[in-house]
Amino acid sequence: MTIAFKPLETFRDDFSFSNSDEAILRFPFPFPEDRYRYTVNTEPHVRAGPSPAYHQVFDIDEHYIAEHRERALVLERDPGRCQVLPHMMAAQWDTLELIMEALALDYPALFTLDREGEAWRWINRPLNIDQAFVFGRPETLPCPPFEYITRQAQGDFTLQDQREGTLFMDGGMVTTQADWSLAFDLGMTFHEWHGPVPLAHELGVFDRALQYLLRLQLGHPVRRLNWTMTVHPRLDTSPELYPVWGPDRASMNAGNVGRTLNLRVELQTLFRLPRSNAILFGIRAYLISLEELSRVTKWRKRLHRVLRDLDPVLVEYKGLARYRSLAVDWLAPGDDGAPLSRGVGPDQDRV
Amino acid sequence: MSKSRPTYQPLKPDPTGRRHLLVIEGPPAAPGDREGFDETWVAAPGSPVSAAVAMRAFPTVQALHEALEARLSGETMGFRLYAEGSEAFVWDVFRRAQDAGMGRAEVFLRHVGAPVRRVYCVHCGTLNEGVAVNLVECQGCRASLGVRDHFSRRLSAFLGVQADAETPGVLPAAEAFAG
Amino acid sequence: MIHGDPIIARIRESRPLSPTLKRLVLEPADGAPLPPAAPGAHVTLRLKSAGRAWNNAYSLVSEPGRRDRYEIIVRRVHASRGGSAHIHDTLAPGDLIDLSAPINLFPPAASARRHLLIGGGVGVTPLMSFPPLLRALRAPFELHQVCSAAERGVFEALLSPHGPDVHIHVGRGAIDLPGILERQPLGTHVFVCGPEALMEAVTGAAAAAGWPASSVHQESFAAASGAPFTAVLARSGRRIAVAGNQSLLEALEAAGVDAPSLCRGGACGECMIGVLDGAPDHRDHYLSGPERAGGALIMTCVSRARTPALVLDL
Repeated sequence: MTIAFKPLETFRDDFSFSNSDEAILRFPFPFPEDRYRYTVNTEPHVRAGPSPAYHQVFDIDEHYIAEHRERALVLERDPGRCQVLPHMMAAQWDTLELIMEALALDYPALFTLDREGEAWRWINRPLNIDQAFVFGRPETLPCPPFEYITRQAQGDFTLQDQREGTLFMDGGMVTTQADWSLAFDLGMTFHEWHGPVPLAHELGVFDRALQYLLRLQLGHPVRRLNWTMTVHPRLDTSPELYPVWGPDRASMNAGNVGRTLNLRVELQTLFRLPRSNAILFGIRAYLISLEELSRVTKWRKRLHRVLRDLDPVLVEYKGLARYRSLAVDWLAPGDDGAPLSRGVGPDQDRV
Repeated sequence: MSKSRPTYQPLKPDPTGRRHLLVIEGPPAAPGDREGFDETWVAAPGSPVSAAVAMRAFPTVQALHEALEARLSGETMGFRLYAEGSEAFVWDVFRRAQDAGMGRAEVFLRHVGAPVRRVYCVHCGTLNEGVAVNLVECQGCRASLGVRDHFSRRLSAFLGVQADAETPGVLPAAEAFAG
Repeated sequence: MIHGDPIIARIRESRPLSPTLKRLVLEPADGAPLPPAAPGAHVTLRLKSAGRAWNNAYSLVSEPGRRDRYEIIVRRVHASRGGSAHIHDTLAPGDLIDLSAPINLFPPAASARRHLLIGGGVGVTPLMSFPPLLRALRAPFELHQVCSAAERGVFEALLSPHGPDVHIHVGRGAIDLPGILERQPLGTHVFVCGPEALMEAVTGAAAAAGWPASSVHQESFAAASGAPFTAVLARSGRRIAVAGNQSLLEALEAAGVDAPSLCRGGACGECMIGVLDGAPDHRDHYLSGPERAGGALIMTCVSRARTPALVLDL
């Protein structure tokens, strides 16, 4: 497949990011019904799903080159956004192998992986990379293996060590996060890092999710969706930079909310890693403005209903309080109340 | 209440362990009842050394930590460590135990004393000690930090994030920590 | 990444190590790289012969991470349900067999400061894949193998390449478990695999020495044989006979029932099924005391019945 990359898009300052028609139609819309309920909602991660975004192990889209540049900028200013604890080196190599193999298999025109024993050669054409190295020897790469490969993939990644009956988040590349800090959460258990999430603990959601993940098996990855909203197509909404993006929340008004408020969806994937037995957690963020999303009739109406009827506790937790009613008011005229089909498909093939 | 916040119980020797060392950031709150621990170490200037129990006194917390590190490097499986004191102290002991290879089933902690918190400033990384209310000015970057209930055992600190990021200058009223 | 199940492998070599032990080398039938496996991983061989079928789990003894071959060692079990006999007597180089992707419920502890490995008989097989990785990481370990006098030579040949910290003990009386466990430094994890008696001795001695349970790891592929009984499937009313030499899980699978499973050793919880009537005979490592006493759950891969029939929520 050919991808029309947009390498000069920005996710800060002038926010020149936008979605092509194709990108709009393939967006992983997260709401199968008119009301949102918090669930674990994992399913097998197979090369099939309601949009092309699900058809590869790791999805590469038109924003790939621009996101790579954005990540490099974040890391330059704050290297602490990528940290891996010392005992996780085997997991680093597992991650490098998994991502390189997957990209080379799913996008052979863009990526090539040649291997002769431990002598590997990795070619990344969009980023102009041609790297020969020895698998297992970190000194043959320009930076540690986990950092090296996650700089060339879209979305955040964390590494979980399985021990003492739970999962410990012992590493991560976190530059596109929805308001959580790797520097603070590094080393926490599954229940600890989910501590701030409201409602779900009482429902036993995390107890069941943990038991399920502890039995995750090699070759059988799973995925789920998470969602929130972001002002401007800003990928880096870290607590570290809250003073930078926080004021945006109060800057919304009826005149600008359509083009400035974005639905942010995370396609989360979980892989058992072969040598380390660790779990790789991929958090792939997609952004779409209300205006862009409204070009899909079903999604415009459904998003209106979801936001209008959202549990107030979730409104608070997802940081939507300041602008939810603005968003609802902007979407309302486009919702005639007609019944919508179940499921997440756009129900149209052009915008 | 955040699920990352630890809950504390009174310390008793774990019956599944074989040797039990209790370390206290002193002066001890309840110096009397130390039944069942093989040894007790206390970090407090001028603390009295009790002749009756195997108690060792240290002039500073730092001195206690140095002795603890040496002790742990030579210990064997079956050892249990107990720590009592401020929240920052007990989790610092935990981290030292973890560096020596001990896991959560082998270390027991109890936070006693004033409900003050160590606060990690997410903006500059500074650890602010002895914070008694949920709003504090960071010693490193001067940000007005709201103190969240989210706790890191690795840093032995609570998370502090700019409290007026969305509306600069408009700060909530500070509330003292209950515990 | 995403694996087709099963993997089709060809037997490349089949070599006897002793009258009852055989080493098999398996290669991918289509030449595509096999999934890399960590130490402690096992594969399930899906064997078929003359109308009978077995799913037998074997630890990988090959060097971890190898993608061109897997190696297993199979003990011909005298009172076997037939799977190991089939492997010893019938399978030959060139034959194709179906494998599951590697499953790992017995991996090294990444944060351990020292690994203590204790094996008994053929139970040493999952432990054989640990030393190559631990040596590469310069992580300290010691390996103790308990075996009979007759097999001393076999295990010395298999284990001596793993360095000076390997000790062979002939007979269970020859190994001082309390002494070995008490002298281990903080941060040691013990891994034991072998006959039930050895595993109980190690876990008992570790507990007596004050080791926390999270530092003690065991793997068991215990054969689940015993008195025959009948499994009744509540939803369909089907009655399935469970023979003395097959597990409840195997009987369900043979009858075409879609029953979940994973480790096939009673440790992971995946095969847990509700019991509506009858008394389970629990032989697993997963259920808690109260869960066992309640009698409303059973691990089909290893547990059996104390009553002539069990009614299952299936």
